[in-house]
Amino acid sequence: MTDEAHPHHHDAIILPGDRRIRLPGGIYTFVFVVLALLTLIEIFLAGMPEGPARVLVLFGIAIGKAALVVIYYMHLKDDRRIFAWTLLVPLIFATLGGFFLLLSPVPYST
Amino acid sequence: MAEATAHAHHGPSPQEQAENIKFGVWLYLASEVIIFSVFITIYAMFRAQNPDTVFHVREELGIALVSFNTFLLLTSSWAMVMGLRAIQAGKQRALMAWIGLTALLGTAFVGLQYVEYTELAHAGVAINNTNASVFAGFGMRFYTPTAFHGAHVIIGVIWALWVVWRAWKGRYSTENYVGVETFGLYWHFVDVVWILLFTLIYLV
Repeated sequence: MTDEAHPHHHDAIILPGDRRIRLPGGIYTFVFVVLALLTLIEIFLAGMPEGPARVLVLFGIAIGKAALVVIYYMHLKDDRRIFAWTLLVPLIFATLGGFFLLLSPVPYST
Repeated sequence: MAEATAHAHHGPSPQEQAENIKFGVWLYLASEVIIFSVFITIYAMFRAQNPDTVFHVREELGIALVSFNTFLLLTSSWAMVMGLRAIQAGKQRALMAWIGLTALLGTAFVGLQYVEYTELAHAGVAINNTNASVFAGFGMRFYTPTAFHGAHVIIGVIWALWVVWRAWKGRYSTENYVGVETFGLYWHFVDVVWILLFTLIYLV
C-alpha cells in the first residue's frame, strides 16, 4: 500500500493555522504526548477539593482521552462508518441505562 | 448466473476479507462495551452512595502506583500503533520490537496491579468484607472490573507475543497486516476501558 493510503506514515503534523511540525511517529506520537499531558492534569485535579465541577472536568478529560484513542489509534477517523456505529450504538444504550440507574431514587444497599 | 459463479470462485478480495475481519472484531468489542458498562455502572452507583467507604480506601492506597501503571498502558498503546506503522512501511524487525515492547509494558501493568492488590489485601480490602468493615461493599465492586480488565491485559499480552511470533515467521507485509490491526483494535480498547476505570475508581 502506498503512503497515500496510509497518511500516518508522514511525520509532519498540521496544527491550527496550517502550521506544521515534524515529530518521529507523526500523529501517533503527538496523540501520545497529548494523552500523557491530559493524564498529568487529571492527577493534579484529583488533589483538588471535591465538588461537581471537579467531577465534570475529570470525566470530560477521560472521555476526551478515550475519544483520541478511538479516533486516531483505532482509526475510526479513516475507517468505514459502520465500525463507528458498531461501537456507538451499544455505548449510547449502555450510557442511557447507566444514567437511568444512577438517577433512580431507590436506595442502594450494600 | 455466470457472474454469480465467478463470485463463488473468486470470493471476496483480500481487502474485503480484511474489512470483514475488522468488522468482526468491532462486533466483539461492542459486546465488551456492554459488559464493562455494567461493571462501571455498578461501581458508579456504589461510589455515589458510599463516598466515605471510597475515601477510606483512597487513604490506604494513594494514586502514585496506579498513575504510573496508567502511563505504562498509555505507552503500550503508543508502542502498538508504532508497530502497525512499522509494518505498513514494510519494517518487520521494527514491528517485532514495537509489539514486543507492547507485551512487556502489558506484563509490567499486570505485575503492578498484583502489587496493588497485595497492598489492598494487607489494608483489609477483601471481596467479602462484612458490613462491620469500613470497606464494606467496596471489594467486590472494585476487584470485579479491575480484575476483569487485568484478564484482558493478560490475554492481550499473549496475543501480542503471538503477533511477534508470526512477524518472526514473516507472515506480515505491507500488503497483509490485518492480524496486527485486529490485535491493535483489541489492545486500544483495553486501554480505553482503563482510561475510564482510572478516572472513575481512582480520581473522581
